[in-house]
Amino acid sequence: MKTTTSLFPLLILSLQVTSAIAADTGEAGGTLPAVDMTEWKCKYCAFEEGFSGTVDLGLGYVSTDSYKFGEYTGLTDEGLYLIGDADLRYRGADASYLNVDVSRLGLDSRSLGVEGGKQGKYKLTFEYDELPHYISDSVSTPFLGTGTDTLTLPPTWVGAGSTGGMTDLANSLHSVNLDTKRKRLGLGAAFASGSQWEYAVKVRHEVREGTQRTAGNFFFSTAQLVMPVDTVTDQVDASATYTGKKFQARLAYYGSLFSNENTALNWQNPYFTGGTVDAGQIALAPDNQFHQILASAGYQFTDSTRATADLAFGRMTQNETFLGATVNSGIVVPAQPRSSLEGLVNTLNANLKITSALTQALRLNGSYTYNDHDNRTPQASYYWVSTDIPPVQQRTNLPYSFTQGTLKVSGDYRFTKQTKASLGVDSDTRERTYQEVSKSTENTVWAKANTRVVDNVYLTLKGAHAERDINGYEVLPWVSPAENPLLRKYNMADRVRDTAGLRADFTIGSAISLGFGYDYANDDYSKSLIGLTESKDTTLAADASARLGKSTSLHVYFTNEQIRSHQAGSAGGLTPDWTGENYDSVNTGGIGVKHALIAGKFDIGADYTISNAHGEIKVYDGSANAPFPDLVSRLGSVKLYATYRLKDNLSLKGTYWYEHYRSDDWQLDGVTPSTISNVLAFGEQAPSYYVNVFMLSLRYKF
Amino acid sequence: MNNQSSLLAALLMLPGFVFSIVAFAEETSPASASLKASGYTEKGADTCLKCHDEESEFPVFSIFKTKHAQKADKRTPFAGLQCETCHGPGAEHAKKVPEGQKQAPIIKFGANSKVSVDKQNKLCLDCHQGNARNGWQASTHQGGDLACASCHKIHAPRDPVLAKTTQPDVCYNCHKKERSDFFKPSTHPVRAGLITCSECHSPHGSNTDALLVKPTINQTCYTCHAEKRGPFLWEHAPVAEDCTICHNPHGSVHTSLLKKNPPLLCQQCHAPSGHPSVAYTGDSLPGGSDPANSAFLLARGCANCHSQVHGSNHPSGSRWMR
Repeated sequence: MKTTTSLFPLLILSLQVTSAIAADTGEAGGTLPAVDMTEWKCKYCAFEEGFSGTVDLGLGYVSTDSYKFGEYTGLTDEGLYLIGDADLRYRGADASYLNVDVSRLGLDSRSLGVEGGKQGKYKLTFEYDELPHYISDSVSTPFLGTGTDTLTLPPTWVGAGSTGGMTDLANSLHSVNLDTKRKRLGLGAAFASGSQWEYAVKVRHEVREGTQRTAGNFFFSTAQLVMPVDTVTDQVDASATYTGKKFQARLAYYGSLFSNENTALNWQNPYFTGGTVDAGQIALAPDNQFHQILASAGYQFTDSTRATADLAFGRMTQNETFLGATVNSGIVVPAQPRSSLEGLVNTLNANLKITSALTQALRLNGSYTYNDHDNRTPQASYYWVSTDIPPVQQRTNLPYSFTQGTLKVSGDYRFTKQTKASLGVDSDTRERTYQEVSKSTENTVWAKANTRVVDNVYLTLKGAHAERDINGYEVLPWVSPAENPLLRKYNMADRVRDTAGLRADFTIGSAISLGFGYDYANDDYSKSLIGLTESKDTTLAADASARLGKSTSLHVYFTNEQIRSHQAGSAGGLTPDWTGENYDSVNTGGIGVKHALIAGKFDIGADYTISNAHGEIKVYDGSANAPFPDLVSRLGSVKLYATYRLKDNLSLKGTYWYEHYRSDDWQLDGVTPSTISNVLAFGEQAPSYYVNVFMLSLRYKF
Repeated sequence: MNNQSSLLAALLMLPGFVFSIVAFAEETSPASASLKASGYTEKGADTCLKCHDEESEFPVFSIFKTKHAQKADKRTPFAGLQCETCHGPGAEHAKKVPEGQKQAPIIKFGANSKVSVDKQNKLCLDCHQGNARNGWQASTHQGGDLACASCHKIHAPRDPVLAKTTQPDVCYNCHKKERSDFFKPSTHPVRAGLITCSECHSPHGSNTDALLVKPTINQTCYTCHAEKRGPFLWEHAPVAEDCTICHNPHGSVHTSLLKKNPPLLCQQCHAPSGHPSVAYTGDSLPGGSDPANSAFLLARGCANCHSQVHGSNHPSGSRWMR
């Protein structure tokens, strides 16, 4: 997978861009007609100047502790919280401006955004966001030191070959909450030079701290572990943009630097009863970097013909010092061939697109996209120890590379002003290294038609047929034990894909609108005897909104989605002898109403949402085995809200929010830390909650 | 591959040369004749505002709270022909008509406008062709006959599609399934208002099928999940290729946005003799007749041992257990 990483094409493109810019003297926006504007005083124009905005302050109350309810908002704990939101604006006659947005000040999901500057000249931005993720509040573990890189067992711990024999387990268990929080600080600046050039730079510093799930095993005995999260990701976007009337171009740099405070997680072996396998160590995500230079350009040859080109060169690197192959002092491991990976992936992403309206009715489009992920990481034969248990083995790393080239040609024909049809063909070729399929090609034929049947009825119909062919499927010699030769990994197997969709939008007068959509997708892997053999996804969706008089509005929506798949396996080692079926069904619906009880004085509203999902899993192996219970989640949510205007600039807002959620998950339900003899589990249970939230706040407007 | 690279370089150079030739040719051609001003109102915005006050069917005063209404910024409509910069000459429209008769038409924007979508959008693109709109032509949304005003509310003090908490509702007008996705048990925090559709998607056009903000799916995911970027000593091939081979980014009935639960998820691609090839059934549920296989099914299934499936940099992590 040799790919050029030469900067030559970029250099040439840059030179061409420079010459085109030199030639494109027209400004965006074009020349205005010469109109006599002496009487255009704009005396009724209510240009906004000075400060304005709203500030909301109040208190909220959450009735129940629930990590699932407050999973991302931070409304996790019973009790009072501060409601604090603000939207402040300043506008100056000289085009200076300032916007300040504050959201959820009293919650762990608070956000502050500031943007100011002089419109058309420069812009400065400041952003601070907290993004929590409350993962689980039903975890129990005997390990001490959770949140750090070393997990130890209490002195009273009694190791055993199975969880049932760990006699100190019940005594040692303690609750741990799993959650992470991202704190993002962003700074940005943009400067406009004249009306054609703009320079911008944005930096974002993100600290992520907390805990997540992981697991560590010794042969077939394992334990769920609390993994520390303490990482920093810095990102930089810098760009110079030229916007001319006919020619536009952008040269940019993107950098992303990831660092992890913890290199490894160490844990004491809870199954240890003697010998040397008393502890384990897993590697945590290594520090890495990505640097990318991007160039793009667009040229409007005529009103009807435009071409664009994009080119991006990237470089992913990772060179964290390797950990030892084992922490088992009883195993002697020869020196590794390298002390760190010197991992390097060069990326090249390019696209060329041309679109031209040959006539008023006919438009032709063509594009070619090339994506290359060229893994230049050096290969070596490393000594490894499976789960800290002898023997020492050797294995060579496989730096996977991927190349994708996609050619698309399509045409749009407008039969009438209200009816357009499109027809296109796509050809997508993918190449992979060190994998079962070195090359696959997928050809797609698609068609789409839009028509406004009458003024108030708009229809869209689309369909596509795609066939993916592979150039042979190799059983990889280095995989041990060998894969079943009948297996076809579905991301690179022969596949026939059919999709269809219908969308209809209706309006009745200016007050009522209705929307309806149906989508169907079927993937047929009938040449695969083992692995995924078929998957099908259908979605039916409808919504409506209506304005009932001057004071009431209503909206309602419903979606039904069904996802089915079939797969086959072979426990016997060759021909298929079992099959599996997945069937997920999700129904979501909602209704909302807003009503002005006293126009301009007293507004009320209500929203009701339900979302019910269930997943059926069936495995047929010829025996009368027990079925799996359905995976179930049922969410119901009601919000009632009212705003009463006390004075011109002061309103009282009240909200009552009730939400209930129930979930059944057979992977978790009834699984205690000692239920599985060889898995020291967290004992997590599928979440359920009933939560009431009361909010009362004052809104001051100025 | 080298041939392909050369072809690519040639392809990239070709439009540049064409750009240059056409651009220089245009420079030497006579400038467009001055457009003859005709049909404009006598008093500009003042003519419009006499009728379009807050009590009218089409109130417009909120435009003055927006960036378009800034005379000191020479790029804006109000530094030019005011309302008629975008809505076109309005003298005919402003003429008084007998009661019961309709005003003469003027350029309106939005999905229900009589003006063709291409013409509407050209008026916007005349100023906004650069940056993210560079790839608008022949993009998915352009091909779907979307007008700029189908999503943007130019007169609103805060355009809902540009605000974090209201943007998804604008997208759900067409993308109805995605509204349902964000109610699923495992999802990204869009419903919570913490991230927007446009953090991952570039609605004005991009080179990926799903209009992603970065050139590939994985590069888009790494903007928030940089810890999964590697490259790792022991890579998991589908992880390095495409996150969506295993994950449904909008939401899933299954944990961690997975397309299905392990072990069946993993068994779609792993079937060597031994434990990956076994049919795990309800017999291994708690209290079932086959507890010996529970470890492959319950808690995190395969990930009870293979916890490092996104890649490992541990010398002994070739099977993603260290």
